[in-house]
Amino acid sequence: MKYSWMVLLIILVLALFFSPGCKDNESIKKVNLKIRQQVILKEEPNVITYAYLPQYSHTTSYTRHHPLIQYLRKKTGLNIKQVFPDTFEQHMKMVGQGKIDISFSNPFIYIKIAHRYGAKAFARIVEVMGKNKFRGQIICRADNSSIKTISDCRNKRWIAVDSTSAGGYLYPLGYFIDHGIKKKDFKSITFAPGPGGKQEKVILSVYAGEYDIGTIREGALDVIADQIDVNQIRIIAMSDPYPGWVYAVRKNLNQKIVDKLKKALLSLDWNNENDRKILKTANFIKVISSNDAEFDSVRKLAKRLNINLDD
Amino acid sequence: MKLGFRNKIYLGFFALLLLQGLVIFFWVSHAMEDSMLKEIKNREISIARILSARMVEPMLAMDFLRMKVLVDETVKLGDDISYTFVLDKNNNPLIHSFKHGFPTELINANKVSSKDKGSMQLLDTGSQLIYDYAIPVLINNNRLGTVRIGLFRTRAEKAVRKIMISVIITIIFAILIAGVVGSLLLNPVTQSIKKLHESSEQALKGNLDVRTAPTLKKNCWDIMLCNKKKCPAYRNYNHRCWYLAGTLCPTCVEGEYAKKIKSCQQCRVYKKCSGDEIQSLAESFDAMTLSLKGNLSDLKNVESVLNEQKSMLQMILDAIPDFISLQDNKGKYISANRAFCETLNKTRKEVIGKGNDDLFPRVNASIYNQEDKKVIETGIPLIKENKVEGKKGIRWMHVVKIPVAETGDEIKWLVCSGRDITRLKAVQDQLTHAQKMESVGRLAAGVAHEINTPLGIILGYAQLLMEDVCKDDQIYEDIETIVKQTKVCSRIVADLLKFSRSSTSIISDFDINEAITEVIGILEHTFSLNHVIIKHEYRKTPLLMKGDKEKIKQVFINLLNNAFDAIEENGSIFIKTEMGMTENEIKISIADTGPGISEANIKKIFEPFYTTKGPDKGTGLGLSVTFGIIKEHNGIIKAFSPPLSGENKENGTEFIVMLPTGLSVV
Repeated sequence: MKYSWMVLLIILVLALFFSPGCKDNESIKKVNLKIRQQVILKEEPNVITYAYLPQYSHTTSYTRHHPLIQYLRKKTGLNIKQVFPDTFEQHMKMVGQGKIDISFSNPFIYIKIAHRYGAKAFARIVEVMGKNKFRGQIICRADNSSIKTISDCRNKRWIAVDSTSAGGYLYPLGYFIDHGIKKKDFKSITFAPGPGGKQEKVILSVYAGEYDIGTIREGALDVIADQIDVNQIRIIAMSDPYPGWVYAVRKNLNQKIVDKLKKALLSLDWNNENDRKILKTANFIKVISSNDAEFDSVRKLAKRLNINLDD
Repeated sequence: MKLGFRNKIYLGFFALLLLQGLVIFFWVSHAMEDSMLKEIKNREISIARILSARMVEPMLAMDFLRMKVLVDETVKLGDDISYTFVLDKNNNPLIHSFKHGFPTELINANKVSSKDKGSMQLLDTGSQLIYDYAIPVLINNNRLGTVRIGLFRTRAEKAVRKIMISVIITIIFAILIAGVVGSLLLNPVTQSIKKLHESSEQALKGNLDVRTAPTLKKNCWDIMLCNKKKCPAYRNYNHRCWYLAGTLCPTCVEGEYAKKIKSCQQCRVYKKCSGDEIQSLAESFDAMTLSLKGNLSDLKNVESVLNEQKSMLQMILDAIPDFISLQDNKGKYISANRAFCETLNKTRKEVIGKGNDDLFPRVNASIYNQEDKKVIETGIPLIKENKVEGKKGIRWMHVVKIPVAETGDEIKWLVCSGRDITRLKAVQDQLTHAQKMESVGRLAAGVAHEINTPLGIILGYAQLLMEDVCKDDQIYEDIETIVKQTKVCSRIVADLLKFSRSSTSIISDFDINEAITEVIGILEHTFSLNHVIIKHEYRKTPLLMKGDKEKIKQVFINLLNNAFDAIEENGSIFIKTEMGMTENEIKISIADTGPGISEANIKKIFEPFYTTKGPDKGTGLGLSVTFGIIKEHNGIIKAFSPPLSGENKENGTEFIVMLPTGLSVV
């Protein structure tokens, strides 16, 4: 009896010290935060910059074109690096500033950079559907009963991709004019806010009912098919087909480099398993040779729409 | 210092709560610390993941402004975020939240591979501990760079400190509350125990008037609306009724606690008044002391009675002249009365616990031991007469030894009683002597009666012959001798007849003083011739008695003649009369100044024919006749030499006669 208190005390003390979770087994690394330096970004030499017109998010842009760029780096031995301008305008300016060596853009942007900065087309793509030309699409919500024909688009709220977007604005605008509907006939015309992901934003705005009609590039609905129920979207009409997306190089880029690039791009073969992966990711099936003359139809459309290529 | 009951309980409470508190403190603090650290780490990981995801686009666009905004916004998310920075895929810092340059050691402080989700590393900056989390910025499994976030560990420590403080406060509160609740619960208990302790100490000191139980608001007379003032429970605030015997409640069973408690437990008084165990203990303690007090009082009474009886018994035993003793079966004396102690000339203390060997001479002790052993072994009482020779001469003792068995047959004690029968023995000798004298008397009477007639004829014929013979003749002288000797014979015969009570008695009431005066008148002259003076001292009032006056006078004549004969010449005789021990007894004392009687002879003086006088001077029947007359009057005669009283106490003899005023003479 005399020692029972002591025994109890010892048990409790032991229980305390052997209790789980008491010990902190984390290793500690010592660092000296006093040794500091200023961060200066070192520019890499001989970099060939590659930009994809930011109609989608940078991530999408990266995802689609990263394997292709890796392919080109390997194939050409050039230090090709993808850059991501935030807007169409920035894209165009960067071409003019020489910050973008290889521009992958829609034909409308192309005629602008060609006009403004002397960019030269050297190849264009054939899209997944096998067409080497593409169209713009006019969409609304599938349950919007007030819009059945193109003429029903009058006095409606229109959201377009960008004022410089081919499939997402200009081609459908040409289509509206051809059907006697002018810009002033719409209740409002809004462009999707940037940067990037503009095609998706147009579809989502119409889907949400924020706008009555939207205009997008052919194939854009497939991009967003895993995010929304695309059956809720109805295509009212489609524009005439125009040449598809184009590879252009900035003015004064070494022709050898252009040739190397062209060769490498054209040699991509759908039947080759590795190439097919690259092409599938980039969302086209092959690259064909092209030149500036192929985009005259687009220039005509611009003229018809009274678009000043310098603006 | 020894702890009291209350302090022990408090200490136990305190120790238990403290131990419990410490256990909780350690467990909770560690658990909380772990949990807080986990939460902080998770938060850090979440922030890093979000930042990593948000960093993809600006990194792709090389939009340093957006990267800077993201990095700064992340740091502003909480005070505990120390830093954020982004490394490119070559581990070159792209952007960071540090104000004055980038600490380069951080780059390699924590590394993460592209396959890992992230890496946590605890960094010690010297002044603080920082959790550094590195997460790769990936796009389609292609690594763009690394986002790093540093979180101070202080937040976890602060949180843990807060919890510890609250745990300590909780423990202190718990101890305080336990102390307060404990004291509220314990106080009545400890008070009751203390009171019980004090009461028991009082009881041990002999004070049985203790009041331990609490008084109640409602008692049995209130509950039962009772007004029986004779009931012992009525107005008894200190004792519960079920502990008291003799309650007058109609529902009560008669008898004491053991008999009535079962019935009482059903009573509403019990149900209302009975308390918890402590109260019951106090109440039963009070009842116990009350009962004890009663029992002690009875015991005291019994003890005093016993003591009284014991002292009375001892007094009786001591008053008894016989000696009485009690021995155990080993022979040791357990008790003895005064006579026994006086016999041994020892005090009682000197006797008790001793054996025969210690108290008696060796020879006697050996005999007594054998006797005692025999009595104890056989169980047969011993009765015997012991002749004891001591300083006071030979004494006879009648001794009885009785074995005493307590239970069963085993002898435990030995009671010995002894009586001094020396006097009885002497009386027995006297009786034998008296019987012998009576036989002699009868013989003498018979002979005297037969001789008296022929003596009368001899005297008559001798006197006739004298008338016939001349006075000068030798024959006349011879016949005169015959007549003279025949008269002597006739006197002897007459004395013999007196001794054998053959003579008749004339009973009358007379005054002893008068009878003595008459005797003195006859003898005084004769005695004075030899210069023997008779002195007397009578009782002033007459000493009347019933008896034969002439015979009594003969007694005094004999005694005075004997005194005269003893004195012979020049002496005095002193006579004193007075009442004896009672009013029915007369004492007469006759003392002379003669030579006295030797001790050997004084025993024989009342025997017939015993005389110290010369031939022709006495027949040896005088005192025998005197003895006979006194006995005839139911009196006593005793001789003392030297005398007890009188003028000369050195020489002479005193005869004391005790006579009953005797209105009943046989």
